[in-house]
Amino acid sequence: MTGRPEFSAQTLSVLAALCAEPSAWQHGYAIARDTGLKSGTLYPILIRLADRGLMEARWEDEQPAGRPRRHLYRLTPEGLASATAALAYAPPPVKAQAQAGLSSRRRLSPQA
Amino acid sequence: MSELTRPMTALLRRLTALVPAGRREWAEAIWAEVAEVPAGWQRLGWLAGGVRLTVREAARGHRPWYPLAFAAAAAGTAWSAWSGPPGDSAVEINRVDVIAIAVILAGLAWIIRRARGPVADARLARVVRIGGYAVVLALVLAKSAVERVADAPPNNLQGPAVAWTGEAVFLAVMASYAAVILMHTARRSPAPPATMAIGTVTGIALGVMAYLLGPLGFPLRFAGPWPACSYDAAMALGVLLALCAPVTAGRAAARRADRSLPPGAAARQGAMAGLCSGTAAALAVTVLSTATIAILPYDTGLQHWATGHIGQWTPVVGQVTPILHPRLGYVAGNSAFAAGYLVVLLISPLVGCAFGAWGARARPGSRRPLATRPWPAMKRLLVRGKPAT
Repeated sequence: MTGRPEFSAQTLSVLAALCAEPSAWQHGYAIARDTGLKSGTLYPILIRLADRGLMEARWEDEQPAGRPRRHLYRLTPEGLASATAALAYAPPPVKAQAQAGLSSRRRLSPQA
Repeated sequence: MSELTRPMTALLRRLTALVPAGRREWAEAIWAEVAEVPAGWQRLGWLAGGVRLTVREAARGHRPWYPLAFAAAAAGTAWSAWSGPPGDSAVEINRVDVIAIAVILAGLAWIIRRARGPVADARLARVVRIGGYAVVLALVLAKSAVERVADAPPNNLQGPAVAWTGEAVFLAVMASYAAVILMHTARRSPAPPATMAIGTVTGIALGVMAYLLGPLGFPLRFAGPWPACSYDAAMALGVLLALCAPVTAGRAAARRADRSLPPGAAARQGAMAGLCSGTAAALAVTVLSTATIAILPYDTGLQHWATGHIGQWTPVVGQVTPILHPRLGYVAGNSAFAAGYLVVLLISPLVGCAFGAWGARARPGSRRPLATRPWPAMKRLLVRGKPAT
């Protein structure tokens, strides 16, 4: 099974943000900035995606100077397939929202 | 602002320690990002979200009331089923029954938690799991009340060997039901919530309908031509609905399935919906009917109604007879439950699964694009507060 067939608008925006650079590890605040989601909304979504095996998470390998190590996220191959399919059939307002998130992400330099 | 963010940061750090080890990294992840968030209201909002998530995860890891509620319900069932004279095989069976069911339900919950995760973060999943367990315990209670009469001398003409065999089958069936309930409500469920919702709602409706058409498991008799004709028509409609419901549930589940899924996977979703439908229907009709049968020997009004609408039947399997007045006897050895509803419990999920898969395979190739459909309102019912993934 590739996953739950339908995603909420917020989850789709998170998936769109993660799909923008599928091979790159992204951290929570970058995703929050791209999607406009608050931490209290974003992290439950990330937890559910990870629980379902659609997303993998890890800590930064090395301790950076001046800040704690970040938790990083990336879609699994299964998650990427589900996200691509879900985004392709997302309702226009949701797609527009996800696209807006992607555009803002492209304007910003990717971190982590 | 720093006078607010500083204590909030400290609170988040302290609360993180309360989160179970397996989930703590998520709380730590929020804390690790705090320095990245611009100071001011934005950082405060980030911390507030972190505190909310941390409290929720900490509470989830420490929920003693579910095991306590289960223990209380199991103890209550055992206490109710325990009474009876020593040496009576029916009483012995009931005692084994309540102990075995408690062990099975608790053990399966433990096993499936490890294999499929804890209960899903959705209200419906919790309701189905708690409701399913409650129905199984209620069924055990009602069955023990039935068998206290049905398997007691002189009703137990077939002897205790048959009763013990029936008991073993019943326990195996109940274990299967508990496994289906637990798996479909687990975090890593093989079926999406919508599939479970469609199947469960359809099944409960079907079970209640079957109960209303034959509360004691037999067709009813009506005196006048119009009531009789109406009942016959209702029965025919009921049979049609019973056949169509799992097909429709499977079809509906497949329609909601991801388009990227191959046809085989859509059929699997249909089979899951049909399985949920058959399981819920069998449990609903069995618990309602068994409870009615259990009340029958003690309720004069119900006895009169049964005599009028079922008849003075000879002691054939599962049928009431006035021979053992004032306690109506069930049939010798095989109670109505063992003979009839155990078969329903065995067959209904299998039939539902097969019909659901067939309904899913028979779905039309062209469907309305998702963009033109309303955004699914059901999901808002399924997930508490926050969106489903």
